[in-house]
Amino acid sequence: MEADYKPILERAEKRIIEALTSSPPVVSYNPHKYREEILSFPVAIVLVAALANEYVKRRYALAEARRAYELLKMENEEKIIEIARKFGWRIRFSNEKIGLIKFDFALNFIDYLRNIRAFHEKSWKLVNRPVLGGEVHLSKQEVARLLQEEIQRYIEDKIDPKVRSMLPEEILKRIDRLKQIYSERMKETPLEDFSSIGIINEAFPPCIRQLYEAAQSGRHISHVGRFTLTSFLLHIGMKPDMIIDLFRKSSDFNERMTRYQIEHIAGERGSGTRYTPPRCDTLQTHGLCPGMDNLCKRIKHPLTYYLRRVRRKRSMRRKKIDESKNENR
Amino acid sequence: MNPKMKIDNQSFIRKKFSEFYNENVDRIEIPKSIESREFGFTLFKEKIMVRHKSFMRAEDLKEFIKRAVPSNVYYSAAYYSLPEAKMEEKGWLGSDLFFDIDADHIPTECNKEHDVWTCRKCGLKGKGSAPSRCPNCGNESFEEKTWPCEICLEAARVETMKLIDMLTEDLGFSIKNIKCSFSGHRGYHIQVDNEDVLKLDSIARKEIVDYVTGTGIDAVFHGLEEVGSGRARMLVGPNLDDPGWRGRAARGTYEFLLTASARDLKKLGLNRRVIEELIANRDMMLKSWKTSGPWNMIKGLGLEGWRKIINHGIKLQSAKIDTVVTVDIHRLIRLPGTLHGKTGLLKISFPTNEIESFDPLKESVAFREGEAKIYVEEAPKFRLGEEVFGPFKNQTVNLPISAALFLLCKNAGRVVNQSV
Repeated sequence: MEADYKPILERAEKRIIEALTSSPPVVSYNPHKYREEILSFPVAIVLVAALANEYVKRRYALAEARRAYELLKMENEEKIIEIARKFGWRIRFSNEKIGLIKFDFALNFIDYLRNIRAFHEKSWKLVNRPVLGGEVHLSKQEVARLLQEEIQRYIEDKIDPKVRSMLPEEILKRIDRLKQIYSERMKETPLEDFSSIGIINEAFPPCIRQLYEAAQSGRHISHVGRFTLTSFLLHIGMKPDMIIDLFRKSSDFNERMTRYQIEHIAGERGSGTRYTPPRCDTLQTHGLCPGMDNLCKRIKHPLTYYLRRVRRKRSMRRKKIDESKNENR
Repeated sequence: MNPKMKIDNQSFIRKKFSEFYNENVDRIEIPKSIESREFGFTLFKEKIMVRHKSFMRAEDLKEFIKRAVPSNVYYSAAYYSLPEAKMEEKGWLGSDLFFDIDADHIPTECNKEHDVWTCRKCGLKGKGSAPSRCPNCGNESFEEKTWPCEICLEAARVETMKLIDMLTEDLGFSIKNIKCSFSGHRGYHIQVDNEDVLKLDSIARKEIVDYVTGTGIDAVFHGLEEVGSGRARMLVGPNLDDPGWRGRAARGTYEFLLTASARDLKKLGLNRRVIEELIANRDMMLKSWKTSGPWNMIKGLGLEGWRKIINHGIKLQSAKIDTVVTVDIHRLIRLPGTLHGKTGLLKISFPTNEIESFDPLKESVAFREGEAKIYVEEAPKFRLGEEVFGPFKNQTVNLPISAALFLLCKNAGRVVNQSV
């Protein structure tokens, strides 16, 4: 390999290592070595693609996008508009004062919606934004943050795992080294396994408890409600037969139909997709959230609630057992 | 009612539907890109829905409806590459943005007194929306018969107008691209015809639903805040003529405080002294909107208290839509220009800017000629066109076809004279 390219390859590898080892993930930026900074990016994309790992791909795209966000915040309005328009955004400089706040930009609300999908903060909800004539009014920092999302998707789309077959031996070696780093990282975060927990009714979040009790007493449950309850129970490992029994009390119970629906949600029929229960904000939209308790305020998904409750219960039980052991001694 | 009579009613209704489609087949509105839509039908004989149908041309659809005489006709808001394939193989291309405003989802002043419920266990009957438990046997499941009354329809119209205002003023859709129709039963349908919305997924549509229903909204993002510090600290809030939800929050608050009783305010969790102050200073507060607003006029009422009041005002301004319909990107929608199987009335489109003066119980009447003699078990007073009918109880009456058909579709009576 020509010595000239070596620093670029080195920097590309470094970018990926930074993404995998920093938390939250971010790639650094050295303004004095702009040649390496620019040229190493497409090289890094090729390396990540060759790794062919979904986790690495997402983490790398996130780290690069976060880097872009930090840089964009410092740019002037014209540059930001130019970049946003490259992504097809319908955005303009607005400089409008609404209430006490002056906004720099106005962005078409559909472009806005496309980029807030991953956000959970109340302040990003469309309903909590000044929306006028189809445009959302935003500050420069907010536009930069939305661009981060667009950039992350853009990078993810660029990463095509088919490149591996085209790479020379030396680069493949580097890739295997990166794989090592990635697998070490993965060991640190074990995945939760619901099926090993079992079904613990006391750990149900308020929404599921309410639906569960309604089903037990044969009260009417809306379609979305049935879906939520069924997908939740399936997810924590309840057997379809038990769920069918739960709905048996319902006045319009039809075993064949109920079984069909449950198996559909379980992914045993139709498309084979195993459905996950809706997120908290979706349940709120459909009026299925009976109000939050303290734990609810810290989570965004009923399954997370369940996991946390179970975990807390267990650690408490363990403590008790330890204490009683001590007493017996 | 014995089964034979049911069949008689059904064949009478089917015959009328058939006559209608034979004479008015061109009133059926053909959706854009008909070849990419899925169609669904319910037939008079079986209770199930026939789905996954498609038609290459408008003429094919019209012929099918004339021949099959369905009790209800639906089409998908979605476009597919293979509309007849199984759901997961259809190839979703996009979907119109759709809203359903139905009296079922709106609390109304009539309290749904015209609706009847029957306990599925002991057969006890009652009026209004069904209770959660049968007062007689404690059972929790009911059969419900609903009725499109003028008050319900008026409430649905108001919600529809609020929705249209948000779609045009806030979300910037042109009124030309908003299609409005009466469902033929208890509500209105709004369809946004715009290239941009076609590809929106459920998550984005949910965000639009939350916008129009005010779900997850908080006054602190719409102008309510504390400014200054120390002794100069004061509250500021939204103004009546502010744009978007800001102005709506202010107008809702104004509307609420105009008539709020001590009980209404107590429900929000405000303390007794604040409530007394609010009521004693009502006039002054309402006047203050012309200047800086009422935010600093009530002693002991700070940001948190105002937040509760404004959040309640927001509820008054939200559009009460059926949230499930809008986020479902595979939804089947009743086809405009076809008859509603529960009423015999037409689903009918009309220019959106005429919603204020539109008379649903007149424009949706499908049959203008002929009479029929029917025996009515029970029906509240109702209007169709310019005429008011009923109330009826266990009596035989001669009625215009539209009114007779309406009662038969509602299963409130049976055909006496078959010679019509």
